[in-house]
Amino acid sequence: MSMSEEELKKLKANKVVDARGTSCPGPLLAAKRAMSEVPLGGILEVLSSDPGTKRDLPIWAKKVGHEFLGVIEEPGYWRIFVKRKK
Amino acid sequence: MTVMSGSIDRLVGMAVLASAAVSMDMEVEIFLQLWGVYAFKKDVIKKNMNLSEFNELGEKVASRLKELNIPPWYEMLKQAKETGKVKIYACSTATSIWNASKEDLELVDEIIGAGEWVEKMSNAKINLFI
Repeated sequence: MSMSEEELKKLKANKVVDARGTSCPGPLLAAKRAMSEVPLGGILEVLSSDPGTKRDLPIWAKKVGHEFLGVIEEPGYWRIFVKRKK
Repeated sequence: MTVMSGSIDRLVGMAVLASAAVSMDMEVEIFLQLWGVYAFKKDVIKKNMNLSEFNELGEKVASRLKELNIPPWYEMLKQAKETGKVKIYACSTATSIWNASKEDLELVDEIIGAGEWVEKMSNAKINLFI
């Protein structure tokens, strides 16, 4: 279950990784690398301008064992939220 | 992944899938055959501009890759190696054909025979031939 946009906007991420301007699979790799710096139960926010990322990250979270929280669409990029679960 | 090709378009495709796989916590093993080994030679790796298709579009593709901040295939593969489990093997026969040793090849972990590789393939969930 992903969160509403209102709820997502209130989130304070423990780490924000700005992968805008890189192409798939750059943002995915950036997310994987950045997650190791997020404490357990903390939130990672990924900024990506690649349209593949908002589909890749929920699949990545499910496969790796994190919780996908949702996406906010901004002009020209997406903010994607994932909670570290392991 | 079995990589026979030494064409950079195919090597980009290989590096993209390897990066995606390590992001997904999958282990990646790559076996280089003839042209694949050639493309990993230290004196070739950065100079190689060979394409397998649509040669007339080579310059256009190269400039678009640059504009989109897509690193060269070997940089992408290096990043994948630094991030997760990626092993790169070179075919022993191909290595002999190019009169090369492991030290002449970039990013290669070991030189192995085809028997060992097919055994590895038989245990993998995904097998690709590039």
